[in-house]
Formats: sequence, C-alpha cells, structure tokens
Amino acid sequence: MKVDNSLPLEYSTEENSLKILGFWIFLGAEIMLFATLFAVYFTLENRIGNGPSGAEIFEITPVLFETFLLLTSSFVIGLGIHAMRLGNKKATMVFFSITLLLGAGFLGFEIYEFVHYIHIGATLQTSAFTAALLTTLGTHGLHVILGLFWGLFILIQIKKRGLTPETANKSFIFSLYWHFLDIVWIFIFSFIYLKGMM
Amino acid sequence: MKELFPLKQVMGFVFSLVLTAVALLVHFMDMSFAIGLTVLLITAFMQAGLQLIVFMHAGETGDKKTIYTNVFYGLLIALMTIFGTLLILVWDM
Amino acid sequence: MEFFKQFAVPHPSFLIYGAMVSIGLAMLAIVVGITYFKKWGYLWREWITTVDHKRIGIMYLLTALLMLFRGGVDAIMMRYQLSMPENTFLDSQHYNEVFTTHGIVMILFMAMPFITFFFNYLIPLQIGARDVAFPRLNALSFWLFFMGMGLFNLSFIIGGSPDAGWTSYFPLANNEFSPTVGTNYYMIAIQIAGIGTLISGINFITTILKMRAPGMSLMKMPMFTWSAFIANVIVVFAFPVLTVLLAMGTMDRLFGTNFFTTDNGGMDMLWANLFWVWGHPEVYILILPAFGLYSEIISTFARRNLYGYKSMVASMVVISVFSFIVWTHHFFTMGQGALTNSIFSITTMAIAIPTGVKIFNWLFTLWKGKIVFTTPMLYSVLFIPLFTLGGVTGVMLAMSAADYQYHNTMFLVAHFHNVIIPGVVYAMIAGLTFYWPKMFGFMLNERIGKWTAWIMSIGFLLSFMPMYITGLDGQARRMSTYSEAAGFSMLNMVSFVGAGIMAISFVLLVYNIYYSIRYASRDIGSDPWDARSLEWATHTPVPEYNFAVIPEVASTQAFWDTKKNGHELFKGKIEKIHMPNNSGWPFIMACFFFVFGFAMVFSIWPVVIVTLIGILVCMAYRSFEKDHGRYISVKEIEETEAKLRGAKK
Repeated sequence: MKVDNSLPLEYSTEENSLKILGFWIFLGAEIMLFATLFAVYFTLENRIGNGPSGAEIFEITPVLFETFLLLTSSFVIGLGIHAMRLGNKKATMVFFSITLLLGAGFLGFEIYEFVHYIHIGATLQTSAFTAALLTTLGTHGLHVILGLFWGLFILIQIKKRGLTPETANKSFIFSLYWHFLDIVWIFIFSFIYLKGMM
Repeated sequence: MKELFPLKQVMGFVFSLVLTAVALLVHFMDMSFAIGLTVLLITAFMQAGLQLIVFMHAGETGDKKTIYTNVFYGLLIALMTIFGTLLILVWDM
Repeated sequence: MEFFKQFAVPHPSFLIYGAMVSIGLAMLAIVVGITYFKKWGYLWREWITTVDHKRIGIMYLLTALLMLFRGGVDAIMMRYQLSMPENTFLDSQHYNEVFTTHGIVMILFMAMPFITFFFNYLIPLQIGARDVAFPRLNALSFWLFFMGMGLFNLSFIIGGSPDAGWTSYFPLANNEFSPTVGTNYYMIAIQIAGIGTLISGINFITTILKMRAPGMSLMKMPMFTWSAFIANVIVVFAFPVLTVLLAMGTMDRLFGTNFFTTDNGGMDMLWANLFWVWGHPEVYILILPAFGLYSEIISTFARRNLYGYKSMVASMVVISVFSFIVWTHHFFTMGQGALTNSIFSITTMAIAIPTGVKIFNWLFTLWKGKIVFTTPMLYSVLFIPLFTLGGVTGVMLAMSAADYQYHNTMFLVAHFHNVIIPGVVYAMIAGLTFYWPKMFGFMLNERIGKWTAWIMSIGFLLSFMPMYITGLDGQARRMSTYSEAAGFSMLNMVSFVGAGIMAISFVLLVYNIYYSIRYASRDIGSDPWDARSLEWATHTPVPEYNFAVIPEVASTQAFWDTKKNGHELFKGKIEKIHMPNNSGWPFIMACFFFVFGFAMVFSIWPVVIVTLIGILVCMAYRSFEKDHGRYISVKEIEETEAKLRGAKK
C-alpha cells in the first residue's frame, strides 16, 4: 500500500481519502434524512389531537444537560483528533474515552426524558405531534447509540493496533459522524425545544 | 499538556457555549415570536458553521470544494423540502 | 397451525396457485440443476462473494430482466382485463394487487437495477478505473437490493400482495383499509432495497469524483458518466426521504402511531407530499442515465462529437436542483391553494427547458453526421419523436388548472408510459445491445434487433395512444372494469392488442439472445462499433483489473482520438495491481436483512430481534476485520494480456 507521509495519517493512503470523501457524501444524505424528519415535525407540530402540546411537556433542565454534554463531547473528540495528529496515542485514547462517556451521559438524560414523556401520557401513539417528536428524537438517539458502539470498537482497535493509517482513518471518520450528530442536536435544541417553549 | 489544547478549538468551544447561551435567552426573556425565531436561526446556523469549519476540518484538503458543494447542496435541497412541505400542508392549505 | 394461517394468501385464485406451483418447480429445478452440475462452489466463489463491479453489474442485469418479465405479465393481465367491458378475468381485489405490483416492480425492481447495471459495468471502465471506490460496499448494495426484491416478490405467494397502488397513499394503506400484510411487504421490502440504492449512490459519486484516469477532468468525462454522476447525486439526496417515509408508514401500520391517520392529529396528505418529494427526483434518476446512454450511442453512430457537451452538462446540473422543486404537480387536486399550485406549475414547465436543450443537442449531433443505422441507433432515433410526444403531454399536465381534468385518468397513464418506455426502456435495450459485445464477446443479431425495435414501437403506439383518448373521455385509472355504455371498449381492445405486440417484441429480444449465442461470430475484436470512449480501449472480455496500464486522457472522446488523431492512451508500463478480496459477508448480512424483513412483515418479534443482532454483529465484524486486498503480479498480468491479445485475432 502506498503511504504518503506528507499528509496526516488518516489521509495517508488513497483508500483513506476515498473513505473520508465517501463519508462526507453520506453526511449529505444524513442532512436530508433529518431534514425530512424536521419537515414532518414542523407539519405535525400543532396537530396534537387529544394529547399534550410541546409547551406542556418540554422541560428545560434535562435539555440543557443534554446540550451541554453533547457540545462538550464534540469539543473533546476534536481534541482527540488533534492528539492523534500529534501521534500521541495515550491522549487520543483518553479523549476518545471521555467523548464516549459524555455521549453515554447524554443518552442517560435522553432515556430519562423519554420515560418522563411516556409517564405523563405523551407516548408514540398519543398524537401526530408526539409521534413526530419521539421519532425525531429517537432517530438522533439511535444514531448516538450506534456511535457509542462504533466509537468503542475503534478505541479497542487503537489500543490493540496503535495509530496506523487504518485506525487513524476510522477515528477521523468517527469524529465527523460525532460532530454531525452535535449539529443535528443544535437544530433539535433550537427548533424543537426552544421554539416549542417560546 | 498545552499542546493538546489548541487555541483554535478551545475558542471554538467557548464560542459555541456563548451561542447556546444566546439561544437560551429566547426561553428566559420575553420576546416576540419573530425576534425569537430570528435569534434561533442565527445562532443555530452559526453553531453548525462553527462545527463544520473548526471541528470537522471541512476545508483542509483538496476535496474542499467537493465537501462544501455537497454540504450546501444538501442544505439547499433540505430547505426547499422543508419550506415546500410547510407551504403545501400548512401555510396554503 | 394457527401460526401458519397468517402465511396463507388471503384472496387466492387459480392464477396465484398456478404461480406458486410454477415458482416452486422453477426453484427446485434451479437447486437440482446447480447440484447436478456441481456448481455451488463456483456460484459462491465467482458470483455470490464477488466484489468485481462487472460481475455485480451482470447480476443487476439478470435481476432486472427477471423483473421485466414479471412486471410485463402484470401489464398484459391488466390490458386483458380492460380489453372488454364487464370482464371477469380479474376481480377488483386482484386488479388492485396487479396494478400495485406492476408499478413497483417496473420502477424499483426493473428500471432501477437496469440503470444500476449500467452504472456498475460502465462507470469504472469509462473513467479508466479498476473498480468502484468501495467494492465491498458495492456487493452489499447489490445484495440488499436483491433481498428487498426477493422479499417483495414473496408477498405474491405468502401473505398476499400489496394492493394500495405503487404510491400506497394513506388512509387507503392503513390497517383498516389494507388489512392484509401486503402493505407491510411494501414498506419493508422497499426500505431494504432503498438502503442498497442509497449506499450505491454514495459509492458511485465517490468513484466518479476521485478515481478518474489522469487527465480526465470533470469536463472531459464521457456523457454517460456525467449523467450517472448527476443521477447518483439525486439518489443520495432523495432516497433518505423515502427511508423516513417508509419508516413512518411502517410505524403507523405496526406500532399504531398517528402520522398518517385521520384522527389524533394525523395527516394523510403528508404521505402523498413526502412520497413525491422522493418520487419526482426518482423519475430523473431513471431518465438521466437513459439520456446518457442515448448521448453515447448517438455520437458513436453519427460519427461525430456530441454537440453541445457543456450545455448537456449544464442542463443536467439544473435538473438536479429543479427535480426537487416540482413534486406538487403529482397532486394538484389535493386541496392546497392556488398560490402553491401556480408556483409548482411554473417550476414544472421550467424543468422542460433543460430537457428540451438535450433533445436539440441530439438533433444537432445527427445533423451532418455520417449516420450508421445499427440497432442501438434505431432505438435512439425512435426515442426522439416518441419521447417528445410524452414530454409535450407532460407540459399539458403541468398546467394546474387543466390538471383537474386529466388527474387520475388514463391520460396520465398514457403520459408517463410515453416518457418511461421510449425514454428509459428503449435506452436500456439500446444500451444492452450496444454493450452486449463488450460484456459477452459477441454481438446480438442486427436483423432481429431491428425487427424488435420496430415491432416494439408499433406495439407501444397501439397500447398507449388510445389511452390519451379514453383518458380525456373520462376513463379513470386503476378501475378494474367499465360498463359497455361508457364507450371505452373499442380503444381498450386496441390497447390490449398493442400490449400483445409489445410482448411479442420482448419474446423476439429473448430469441435474439438465444440465436446470437448459437450463431454469432466470436471474432469481433474489442471495438466492434468503432466507438469513442475508454470502455472500448480495453480487451473483450474485460480482464478483472480492467486496464493493465491506467490510461492517460486528453479529450472527451479519448478512444476516438487515439484511433483517429494519434493520441497515446497507455503510456506507463505494467506494474503490479492491487485488488480487493472477495467476501461472503455482504451476502450473509443481506440474508439477515431478508429474514429481518420477513419477520417484521408478520410481526414475529423474537426473530426480528435475533436478526437485528445478526445485522449488528456483521457490522461489528467488519469494523474489526483486517483486509488489505491482494496483488496481481506483473507476470500474471502479462500472461493475461498476451492471451487476450491473441484471442483478438
């Protein structure tokens, strides 16, 4: 395999740079996926049937925690990639671990939130609004769950195999995914929660 | 230790926290729907741009043009879909 | 016993039982045949685990031809049912099932794999690459698509076919009005196939952007590759909408959510809206590659460079954006205001402009060309007037006020068949005839081929022109019968005769393949059509590494300029070639998807959970797997090259 040492490790082979571009295009598709969910949500937002409305069920506290955790995790994984480029394996692993822990914390709050909604009678079946809300949040949450496993696998591979062009490439792509989930969350935070509580 | 915390990314993080705080004003202050929504739109898209440039390194390789075209094309189609749907099913129904 | 009852077909008939028996026998014959000839190992090694884009392409082709047969049988049954008033050949339920499956099979399981076959086979060859960007993912795309196709067709014999139309509008498609599992099949089978399509879209975009031969800038790509690029861009941005839509439909049917219900705030119109947000770009996904093929064929047989290369590219880029803002024209009568209808009316008419530009480009390419009337060229020349007719009726339908008259009549049916058949189907057959020698080393018979084209066109005109008239007279689509007093009998009979003639043309096509296998000359060289682009610069049959030396390109008609203007393509010397390894994992993962889908359809939750874990384990395995591919040595390449060069004489 041809390795170009003038580039960061994650770009160093042709295959690697293909994978990074391919993943960006996948993120393009993800933009549309979430855009469709937003289109659905905005359309059904006020169609609450006999169920509660957004203003009645949203709570600012867990949402603030979630936002803070995810923003921080996004920052930390950025540091992880920086450390990786410095060739510091240990720091990379520490930053990645923190990222995953913060992600797990986010997920904990989200699960709490879901249990809370179901408890107060805003289930998936209640109304068009609740279905759209829980599906949008759930899709983001599923992405985070998948990301946690993915990140964990990469962490194991870095530990076992060190920072090779392959593991570096996987880590970089994972970081793109994680930042993207953060961006999606920003939009959920702004246009579902804050707009709903306005 | 210091080399592990590049200034650019730390500043980016601080800025993103500030943007979040500004967005929260919408909740904690009394403002009209139109102003609130404007604030949210500005802060959300700034946050997204920040992530894209500072954290996702969107502009660092020869594929820069492709990546930005991809993102902006996606955004264009996304906005057309969202607003088109709202026009058909909510505003003009 | 109770458990097995759910798998029975709810509304059976002799036709369905007959089909069950014949499908069963055919499967048995295949299994026995493969076992008898001891071909299981060959099948596994050479096809099921392959990551070679050419072989994957051919598997797409076989699937498409199989589905063309199934969709064609559906079509003939519908035409026969409507050929006489008060006909009782199909009852209304069966008619519903037949028009539903005809639509889905033809669009998603015939036309889509057919164009994906061309993508797979041609893109790497046209850009001078050795494979696609992600060969393993390409295999996964195919197998996901294949399993989705298999699952969908299973509905016919287990549990009942979907019957809510290929658009599956709610509330018709909800549990109350579509109580059988048919619509579950629709939601889940298309979901699985759709994920495959999305993945291959990403794959092809990356391939085209990053793997072009040195010297081939974007504006030097062959026109088919350009059209494939734009089509795949549309795939990547349109298919996620379908993913979300089908997921919501599945949730409404299986989990009792209220997205598309008519109470608790649900909005059935949201389905129609999002369906066409995906559905309209899908139309362009199908037609753009067809335009690309016509461009290749017309410039080859007019022996001229394609006229207006830049305007061709520009028109496709415009279409890639515009195709996303015209979707409302599929439901002008749904009840949204005049403002919305006017906006989408204008965008719809506007999108006809770039298409018109292309038509003129083809005409100007022909003008002063030294035209050679081969079979592919004949299809292309027939395409131009026939397609324009369909385009003009499209502009009629685009006028929202007038659309109230045409909406859901046979006029509409005539229109979209008028664009899809001369547009897409002709292109597929023309392309197949054109590239047949590249794939299999012999040409299809020209005489039979031309007869096929003419018979198909006569059949096409007889089938669909009468529908314009009956449609304007008020014959609604999707009605299983009509009374004699309606006065549609005569024209519908003509239509049935036309459908029969089209069927004959497809039989001729199959006969042509048989005839050519037996009698065609194998001594045709690697460039039998005197063609223009890179795919003809390598040997026939194409070696697995495509090009022994990566070509260097200096113009849009790279191979033509090599032949006529003294450009040199292969400047380097042979070096060892890195190739990906075969893998069985895409197939295994797709099998999990198949069982997962089947269990979802019948809500057998334990199986759903087990297969879901299976899918995730496959993904985890892939994450940990180390696979650096393999090398083909210089010696091996030289031997292959020498053999192929020898075979050329």
